Amino acid sequence: MDWHLLGLSFVTVFISELGDKSQMAAIALSGSSKSLRAVFLGTCAALLLASFLGVMLGGSLSQFLPVRWVKMAAAAGFVVMAIRLLLNGETGEDDTAEKIEQV
Amino acid sequence: MLTVESTSDASNTTTSSLSLFVETPDVSSNPDDLNGLRFTEGASEETSLQSFWQRWQAEIKVFASTFLTIFLAELGDKTQLTTLLMSAESQSPWTVFAGAGAALILTSLLGVLVGSWLAKRVSAKTLEKAAAVMLLVIAALLIWDVITS
Repeated sequence: MDWHLLGLSFVTVFISELGDKSQMAAIALSGSSKSLRAVFLGTCAALLLASFLGVMLGGSLSQFLPVRWVKMAAAAGFVVMAIRLLLNGETGEDDTAEKIEQV
Repeated sequence: MLTVESTSDASNTTTSSLSLFVETPDVSSNPDDLNGLRFTEGASEETSLQSFWQRWQAEIKVFASTFLTIFLAELGDKTQLTTLLMSAESQSPWTVFAGAGAALILTSLLGVLVGSWLAKRVSAKTLEKAAAVMLLVIAALLIWDVITS
């Protein structure tokens, strides 16, 4: 095991990921969602799979993946989630009840 | 809870088994004890199973929507490009994946902790609005990436 490489990749990714889009999304989703566990597991699984694909497929990834369309789809997904958060006034009471139960 | 027990023990000093028998339904009907709901009689068992199923469905929904959006947003992002370049340079992809994976788990854990910390201090309505604005900002950043690339 190359500890230097391990440490280097850890520090690089940690610094570049801190305060990045995915962490902001994790903050926003966990603050407004019913289940912290589901948000944490979903975020982790998505990030691990994305970096796994990046590491294993290497340079060939960008050739067959329409990155622009994928990013537009992700943007659409975030917009839909934001609108759902702004619109659901009646389920907001459910959320608080659930949170009180958890505490 | 403790005070109730001590008073019942004091009144029923002769039959300790009876006082124990009386106390057990008190424990299961206590609203603080959520696990106690599972051990109650048939009718409420069905409803607790139903609520468990509903909660499970809600969790799966949250998991799926979180996974899909973050996965799509992260594909082709700068972190992925960094790990991609590092693994190509070093020829040891598993080591790079281990380091990057640990960092990603830690950053998402920090994110979730910050979110839950905020949820305890800010009212749910304010938090929902702030979260919606944050998600819109992320969407705008993604669209900006597409335009500039």
